[in-house]
Amino acid sequence: MSEAIVKLENVGIAFDMQLRIGGKRFWALEDVTLELAAGDRLGVIGRNGAGKSTLLRVIAGILAPDRGRISRNKVSCQLLSLAVGFQPHLSGRDNAILSGLMLGLHRRDIERRMPQIIEFSELGDFFDEPISTYSTGMLSRLGFSVAMQVEPDILLIDEVLAVGDAEFREKSAAALRERIHSGCSVVLVSHEERAIRDICTHAIWIEHGRSVMHGRVEAVLEAYAREAHVEPTGAGA
Amino acid sequence: MRLHIVELIFFSAYAELRAERSRSYLGFVWWLLDPALQMGIYYLVFSVVLKSAQSDFVPFLLIGLTVWQWFKSCVSHGGHAIWQNLRVIRQVKLPAAVFPSVQILADTVKFLCILALLLVVLWSCGYRPNAAYAALPAVLIVELIFASAIAYFVAAIMPLLPDLRFVIEQILTMLMFVSGIVIPVHDVASPLRELLMLNPMVEIVEATRGILMRGEWPHWPELLGVTVVSIACYVASLVVISRLTHRYVKLPS
Repeated sequence: MSEAIVKLENVGIAFDMQLRIGGKRFWALEDVTLELAAGDRLGVIGRNGAGKSTLLRVIAGILAPDRGRISRNKVSCQLLSLAVGFQPHLSGRDNAILSGLMLGLHRRDIERRMPQIIEFSELGDFFDEPISTYSTGMLSRLGFSVAMQVEPDILLIDEVLAVGDAEFREKSAAALRERIHSGCSVVLVSHEERAIRDICTHAIWIEHGRSVMHGRVEAVLEAYAREAHVEPTGAGA
Repeated sequence: MRLHIVELIFFSAYAELRAERSRSYLGFVWWLLDPALQMGIYYLVFSVVLKSAQSDFVPFLLIGLTVWQWFKSCVSHGGHAIWQNLRVIRQVKLPAAVFPSVQILADTVKFLCILALLLVVLWSCGYRPNAAYAALPAVLIVELIFASAIAYFVAAIMPLLPDLRFVIEQILTMLMFVSGIVIPVHDVASPLRELLMLNPMVEIVEATRGILMRGEWPHWPELLGVTVVSIACYVASLVVISRLTHRYVKLPS
């Protein structure tokens, strides 16, 4: 494995359960250790509530660990977030600028990419109308088109692999797949084993906030299928 | 500060101002109509009903309210800003101070419009422009620093203490009455007066009135003192925000 660009060592994250002084804390992540090398595509698997989404936000730098260590090389890291900061009364164009700025793009970069955003979102004349007039499908098309303009060194994806109606789903999935295979590093959280198998080179299995296994994607998926899938039926032991 | 953060603050402030325009029929007119109505009410109560004896009461009141309204909007709008944007803060990595800054910038643009109207009213009442106007930008910058400092501080603690939003308006109203906006601080009896004079807003409002009404230059040593206090509060508030940012992300939604 080449040099790690992100390294987590025994990372734990605690959340306050209520807004109250001395309220209970809940450890969403207990003890996670992982390494991500340049060009790695890491799949995160585990049951609901295992801490997968929390892990993505730690890697993104949004959450700081309450215990353990995280080290990150000088790389840009972005959670694929749709419609961040969208304002209903603003036009699609203004929202593209606002959201792009929030995602870390410069104004002139957004203006330069505007033709691609307009074309990809297929909004036509609606692009200069307030987004409060948009349908849900139109909103997700705009959100996706803007989010795709960010080109981080590490792309973090939480389940979103395609958006919109049937036709746009295909188009957005293809665009995202192209981005994923463009050489950046990827961390993907997904419940779909097939997606993980197709996309990822490595996988990490998280259980109750702990990393259980980390390695080649096939080996981890196999172990996960053996353990996790059998257990809920009560047939294990 | 990184360029895209500055661009974000300016563009968000523009979005904020556009939002206000689109949320009402009269749009921009409310920027002036709202403070004008408020000034009208205070004028009626203090000048007509209570028959305040002070000469020059109308310009005294108009200047005080204009300057106060700016401070109040910055603290009130800016103070809510982090709490209102927790969803965004959970999604993307941004300095939390961006959100109050946006509100402060938007309120400052509105203030400048109201100030222009105030100057026209004062001139038409016979309070002519004078050499001391040169000091006005300095006084206003000190107020901006002080208002930002308080706004950042309120914004910093609001997410952890959301109950604050139920009392912030009352606290601000109370502060208005002890900041010499409608009742001159000089009319207050001695031990309390010295205490009230510690409030930087008293000096800022008085300096503004001195310039606009009497052509007096600010008392520089006092203004310098207020500037130092304001900058110290400003830096302290920014430190508080950056120290608390990791907690905002973890708050229950």
